[in-house]
Amino acid sequence: MKVGAKNVKRLARQFWRGIREWCGDAAYERYLRSFAARPSITRCTLSAEEFYVEQLNRRYSRPSRCC
Amino acid sequence: MKRLVRISIWVIVALLGAGALAKIALDRGESLNAIWFVVAALCCYLVAYRLYSAFVAARLLALDDTRATPSERNDDGRDFVPTNKWVLFGHHFAAIAGPGPLVGPTLAAQFGYLPGTLWLIAGAAFAGCVQDFIILFCSIRRDGKSIGQMAREEVSKRSGLIAQLAVLAILVILLGVVALVVVNALKSSPWATFTLAMTIPIALLVGVYLRFVRPGRVLEASLMGVALILFVVVAGQWVADSPSWARVFTLGGVPLAFALIVYAFAASALPVWLLLAPRDYLSAFIKAGAIFALAAGILFVRPHVLMPPLTRFIDGTGPVFAGKIFPFCFITIACGAISGFHSLISSGTTPKMILRESHARFIGYGAMLLESFVGVMAMVAACAMTPGVYFAINSPPSIVGATPDAAAATISGWGFPLTAQTMAGLAKAVGEQTLWNRAGGAPSLAVGMAQIFSNTIGGERLLSIWYHFAIMFEALFILTVLDAGTRVGRFMVQELGSRVWKPLGRTAWMPSILASSAIIVGMWGYFLYQGVVDPLGGINSLWPLFGISNQLLAAVALVVATTILLKMGRSRWIWVTLLPMAWLVIITMTASYQKIFDANPRIGFLALANSLAAQVAAGRIPAAKLMETQRLIFNQRLDAAVTAILALMVIVLIVEALVQWYGILSSRRQALLHESPYVPTQWAEGYSGIAQGDD
Repeated sequence: MKVGAKNVKRLARQFWRGIREWCGDAAYERYLRSFAARPSITRCTLSAEEFYVEQLNRRYSRPSRCC
Repeated sequence: MKRLVRISIWVIVALLGAGALAKIALDRGESLNAIWFVVAALCCYLVAYRLYSAFVAARLLALDDTRATPSERNDDGRDFVPTNKWVLFGHHFAAIAGPGPLVGPTLAAQFGYLPGTLWLIAGAAFAGCVQDFIILFCSIRRDGKSIGQMAREEVSKRSGLIAQLAVLAILVILLGVVALVVVNALKSSPWATFTLAMTIPIALLVGVYLRFVRPGRVLEASLMGVALILFVVVAGQWVADSPSWARVFTLGGVPLAFALIVYAFAASALPVWLLLAPRDYLSAFIKAGAIFALAAGILFVRPHVLMPPLTRFIDGTGPVFAGKIFPFCFITIACGAISGFHSLISSGTTPKMILRESHARFIGYGAMLLESFVGVMAMVAACAMTPGVYFAINSPPSIVGATPDAAAATISGWGFPLTAQTMAGLAKAVGEQTLWNRAGGAPSLAVGMAQIFSNTIGGERLLSIWYHFAIMFEALFILTVLDAGTRVGRFMVQELGSRVWKPLGRTAWMPSILASSAIIVGMWGYFLYQGVVDPLGGINSLWPLFGISNQLLAAVALVVATTILLKMGRSRWIWVTLLPMAWLVIITMTASYQKIFDANPRIGFLALANSLAAQVAAGRIPAAKLMETQRLIFNQRLDAAVTAILALMVIVLIVEALVQWYGILSSRRQALLHESPYVPTQWAEGYSGIAQGDD
């Protein structure tokens, strides 16, 4: 019973993470992690607001929605 | 033993699929339960995925999970982002699924349910999925390069140019035709027009929230926006019931066309965070919800398909659009079976986010199967309504007659019984003034969806709410295609302009933004306008043009795929891409020829132009209509010229490809691949891409 509940909890957590990744909620956290993983890069990190705007500008400058 | 069980299960799935297909194809009873369509489609997709995509992955592409993908090598947290395969599947599907798989099958239902359904299933399994999968693979091996860049490097510079021109052509025609679908859905409908108009301030609100209040919190902002949109769907009824407000939101075709043109110009020129992106978020959530609801509704209601398997209109005399089943069924249903536009997505964002090469099969092949399933559901929704009603909604008055009684008599004469009272009652039930002459596919699909939804929840009482929910759902994501497409087109125009004068290429320079936005909006706006004033309903001319340009781009993609496979030494299996490419070239060229030269004025652009010119010369056109007729003649000749240019591009592309292939096969030309060098992956086998600890 306990194992089952644990599995359900794990699946729910994974599903929630997946939803956050899909809709873009986790994009800034991922960016910060990716930045931290490369200490050789010296430029400043973007703020959440700057990152959001920059990301949108890049995404909507190429075909992102189909017919 | 386990192997035997596995094989037995797949044999059962295959037999079930074959049985369901046989039932669909051979049933000549009064009506057929829609569940047969679902079973046939799902079983065929499962078998195609298990066998054919596995064959392509292993024999043709030899996917290699020890090789680092672009997202691992170039991970920057922005463009190149290693992403879990389920999440990326969702991204990829949301990007490829537009109005095409809904509208195309709805229009093609005029031939009956059989040809469209078979093409949706077989076309996706053997052509569309293969194209998406292989182009995704090719782009992964080239650091996420676009289809245009790959065509230039792997085939020839001229092919690269053709790919770029095809993208621009498809964009302009696509935007014109989908805008026409929205205009025909909103025409004379205060409820629908109000609902869609209100999505603009809601999107602005969501945009401001995401920019200034809680930057990047897309989920909560979108859920708030979706709740507001559902509220305005209901509130639209109060607007429609109020005589003064109803007058404000009751618009004809031309004012609606201009409103869309102004909207798209604004969305293209305004900062992307303010209007375009929030609308896209709202649209993505509602799209996912509505498609899921439609699938669930079909399974729950299990409606009977009332349209016959084949109608008399396979002979080319169809009222929705003219032309025989071959080639027009295959041109009309593009996106649900194969769509060239998908190659832009498969060589755009997705290859930069994929975690492992083997995921390309699930994402490239699998997402296209799901899109095809959406097409099959649209076909079911369209064919589940009374055929007479379907033809009444989708036929222009120039074909069926200008008055309800005359139109009902014409449609009944075709063998699809209908009375004017039936249409009046249906219009009243869905909260519309009229449902006659609403060509474009959206209103008939909305009626079909509303009938399925209301049989699931709410019954007859909620039919009008469901109808307007369906219209809002279709119009909302068509508008998303419209504004996102206009913005991409603006960038293309700026890039082309920079070759003439450098400052035009500066994407943040306001005069350049305004000028390029005006140019791209002017181009598709012209097609929209000609569609709105077209006496044959516009869809008759523009949808085939869109189909031809879309299939042209698919031919470009398959030429690139074939060339790369030849260079990889896979000539033994080259038929996998060569056969769908040959099929596309045959249907594109046949349709182009017929659209230009056919003697029937309903099919041939030149025949209609010449017939109108003869009427002008004979003095049979009243002076008041002379200008309008001259414009119609010009439009027909313009459409003929555009079709001829597209066909010429196909010919040049094929000649170019044949020269290349002959050179490679005869070893006269070095088979030089432009792949990125092999780098072994550093990721452990179980790494899934889902970040830990971010909940």
